[in-house]
Amino acid sequence: MSLLAAIRKLWHSVAPRTHSDVEEEFRSTLDAYREDLIRQGLPEEEARRKARIDLGQPDVQYETYRAAIGLRPFDEFGGDIHYGLRALRRNPGFAAVAVLSLALGIGATTAMFSLIYAVLLHPFPYAGADRIMNLFGVDEEHPDGYSWISFSKAQLDEIRLAAPVESLLGFNEAHMEITGSALPEDIIGIYLTENAGTFFGVRPFLGRNLEPSDAENGGHSVIVLNYQFWQRHFGGDTHVVGRTLEIDHAPYTIIGVMPRSFAFNDMTEVGDVYLPASLMPVVNVSDDAYLAWIKPRPHVTRDAANAVLEPIVLEIVKQRTGRVPRGHLALQPIIWIFQKNTGTTLKLLLAGVVLLLIIGCANCSILLLARGRTRRHELAIRSAIGASRWRIVRQLLVEAIVISCTGAVLGVAASYWLAKLPLLLSPDSFPAESVIRINAPILAFSVALALLCGILFGLVPALRLSRHDSARMLPGRQIGFVAAPAKHRWSVLIAAQVALTLLLMATAGTAIHSFLGLMRMPLGYDPANVMRVGIGLHTENPGEWSRLQPREARTAYIEQIQEKIASLPGVSIVAVGVDATPPYIDPFYEKSFEIDETGDREQPQARVMLVDQQYFAALRIRLLQGRIWNADENTRGDFIAVVNHALATRYLSSSNALGRQLRIPGLTPLNHSQVASAQSTAWRQIIGIVGDARNDGLDRPVVPAIYVPYTAVMQPDAQFFVRTQNDPLTYLQSIRAAIASVAPDQQISTSSFNGTLTFNQALEHDAQYNSQRLFSILFGVFSAMALALALVGLFSVVAYSVAQRTTEFGVRLALGAPRANVLWVAARIALVSAAAGIVIGVAVDSFLGAVLAHWMQSAFAAGSLFAAAALLALSALLACLFPARHAIGVPPAEALRYE
Amino acid sequence: MTKLVELPQGTLEMLILKAVSLGPLHGYGILLRIQQISGERLEILQGSFYIAIYRLERRGWIKGEWGESENNRRARFYSLTAAGKRQLKAETAKWTDMAAVVAGILAKKAREI
Repeated sequence: MSLLAAIRKLWHSVAPRTHSDVEEEFRSTLDAYREDLIRQGLPEEEARRKARIDLGQPDVQYETYRAAIGLRPFDEFGGDIHYGLRALRRNPGFAAVAVLSLALGIGATTAMFSLIYAVLLHPFPYAGADRIMNLFGVDEEHPDGYSWISFSKAQLDEIRLAAPVESLLGFNEAHMEITGSALPEDIIGIYLTENAGTFFGVRPFLGRNLEPSDAENGGHSVIVLNYQFWQRHFGGDTHVVGRTLEIDHAPYTIIGVMPRSFAFNDMTEVGDVYLPASLMPVVNVSDDAYLAWIKPRPHVTRDAANAVLEPIVLEIVKQRTGRVPRGHLALQPIIWIFQKNTGTTLKLLLAGVVLLLIIGCANCSILLLARGRTRRHELAIRSAIGASRWRIVRQLLVEAIVISCTGAVLGVAASYWLAKLPLLLSPDSFPAESVIRINAPILAFSVALALLCGILFGLVPALRLSRHDSARMLPGRQIGFVAAPAKHRWSVLIAAQVALTLLLMATAGTAIHSFLGLMRMPLGYDPANVMRVGIGLHTENPGEWSRLQPREARTAYIEQIQEKIASLPGVSIVAVGVDATPPYIDPFYEKSFEIDETGDREQPQARVMLVDQQYFAALRIRLLQGRIWNADENTRGDFIAVVNHALATRYLSSSNALGRQLRIPGLTPLNHSQVASAQSTAWRQIIGIVGDARNDGLDRPVVPAIYVPYTAVMQPDAQFFVRTQNDPLTYLQSIRAAIASVAPDQQISTSSFNGTLTFNQALEHDAQYNSQRLFSILFGVFSAMALALALVGLFSVVAYSVAQRTTEFGVRLALGAPRANVLWVAARIALVSAAAGIVIGVAVDSFLGAVLAHWMQSAFAAGSLFAAAALLALSALLACLFPARHAIGVPPAEALRYE
Repeated sequence: MTKLVELPQGTLEMLILKAVSLGPLHGYGILLRIQQISGERLEILQGSFYIAIYRLERRGWIKGEWGESENNRRARFYSLTAAGKRQLKAETAKWTDMAAVVAGILAKKAREI
């Protein structure tokens, strides 16, 4: 076909002839024919009649035209939609309930799908993101425990040269401070190997990313900004590239701003600025400065890459520790952590919303069937005047799809907010880079969903309603007292709907039950009114650092600040510690230790907590035996230790634990910024045993822990644990002032890892707490919606049937039927179906309980099932009796006149 | 009186193309011309006549323009387009071939088969 013909065809299809054009032509032909007939001798009236019989009516000619050029299906379809909309408008109450039922289901499902899309299918903006791998070490003794392996720059280069590696990114996170302005601001900087630009393959929002040339001459002083930081600090100024930012008293030229979707890195902390790795200060440079991401070449399987890299990595670990590591290397895609932790959660939630959607669809079916009885008359007329069954089914389906599409529009709009809910409730469970937005795949999903729902809930009513033969239906309304048909399709639907609702309610009950259980679990410490305030020493400031680097000076500095804070009114006690915030204490030192002189019989492991003697009082951790070390012992740092109850029972059960000796060979500095006491690895006497305080998360048993004075290995940062008389955050200003009175330019950390945090907030960040709370709230919401839908379904069925059987009830009452009896007749079928649904639901739940409990990692609570069943039964009863009471309110005389 | 012939399915459109190929005609004129050429032997179902015209126009084989009829009435005149000419040629060839083949088969005597 030539281009011209194609254009002409297109033109003809979009601009067919107008109505008047077609009609005028036809009339002219009609006239010509009529005149011919007159000329042949026919009388005028006769000629006019014959012309019309032979040629047709001018008014329908346009329809003939459209049918001829193939537009008829569109016309009919348009007519169906038009008719469907009109039917909805005529019945706004019905329309609103049906549309809302679906909007809930479709909105929730779309939200969950967009969440899954953002979190699991497409979370990272990086080029070849599905190939990027973390390097994990897996200890033979703890096959479930994965730990990151860190490397030096030279080791990175060694791995980079391995055959399966296409490229490798090394990164190191550092706490920095913006200087040169009135208020110092704490920020996170991430040093990146200079191949970052090509490794990420993300086009910067402004300027450029780091390039290999930035490593020249010991590194150019350039930085790339994170989008959020750029918004926060520069107010989104687009002329920022080329300007200078002073960080830690050194100027850096801004070369670029990354796009919003780029939020490297989830696993450590999202960086505010990205710097060339060559600039890393010498104090931070150590054997394990870098974590690494590798991107294997395409078509290299993970196992193959793992097999090649394992000997290299194990050799590196061996050189560093001087021992052959007992473990292996595990490459894992960067999404794996989130899939592992959040995948099941999302699947469960998706199952929840799909249930909700099915309940919504069932509700629409019920409404359509219930209303259908009032439409029988109309449909009978349509089929009597020649509409085929297919035509009527199509009409009813189109009406259903009109409802579902309207619901989908509302649902998609709502899903935009709904999808954010899980992110708000449990921010740590999702990659920071997953952005929830409505995009093409999600829109396609919801449109498909809407059509599917329309067909799903429309088909049963359509088939059922289109079946009546016109002869039986047409002769007027039936006058009879046994008007209720024997078979009710909707009773099956109601039973199913009630059963599914119960399933959701029981799940919510289980989730809430176990969340409450988690909240009531003994913590072993008192989180109320305790806050952590972190400080970082200025390792990058040569003058200050040389002053504070000696261990004694650093201890004195920290103790001075500690005293100042303690002297504040309202502050009852101040302790010092390093990374010792429960309920999950990230093991700064998870070390093997030796007990007495028993040798290497077993390698006991424990978390080593660097704290001071006040820590136990500040957290209200109970002392079970012995004593806590005193201030002098704290300053010395050596020869003493306190252990927790878990350690004592696991490793010291045989005899009295007090007075025994232990030794932690690994308690040594890891880099130049740390400094150890004289004999930090020497034998320590156990002088006290304290109660177990949660240190491995809320859901897991307390692991063995050794508390030693924080002065044993002085870190370049410390945290103060401040117990106050009321809400600790209100003391933040005076604490800042107290610190400033000791050292005016000592900022307090604001980052989430070492910064300010109340212990209650720390509890809320616990993974188990988070996921349990997420389940409780979302399933609570789902089940409330499902309950509302089910009740609306019951209500409308009873209401419709009461409205239809007014006469019957009037006659029953007139003949002297007791009111209770009439009420029972009115509500009977709905009540029986609901009861059947509850019985089925209880049975299914008991069966599924074990599976659910496993997925939700919590015990299945039979109690909550029966509570849910009781609540459902009660509300179902009300939903049936409320409309049924209209049946007994009918005055008999009026009921009979109604006909 | 000559016997009326009923049109086989689909041939009406071909006849319209032929009628219009001799010069622009309005709808009624096409009807008359077909009857005239056929020696009044064709009974055209008038209801389907316009449907055929609409389809031909839609396919771009004929195009309609408003003009004045012989008795000064406004009428829509149809003429053959280039695509229509090609189509008519192709259809004519196809029809002649088919007719020849069918006629040949029917003309065979029993002993020839």
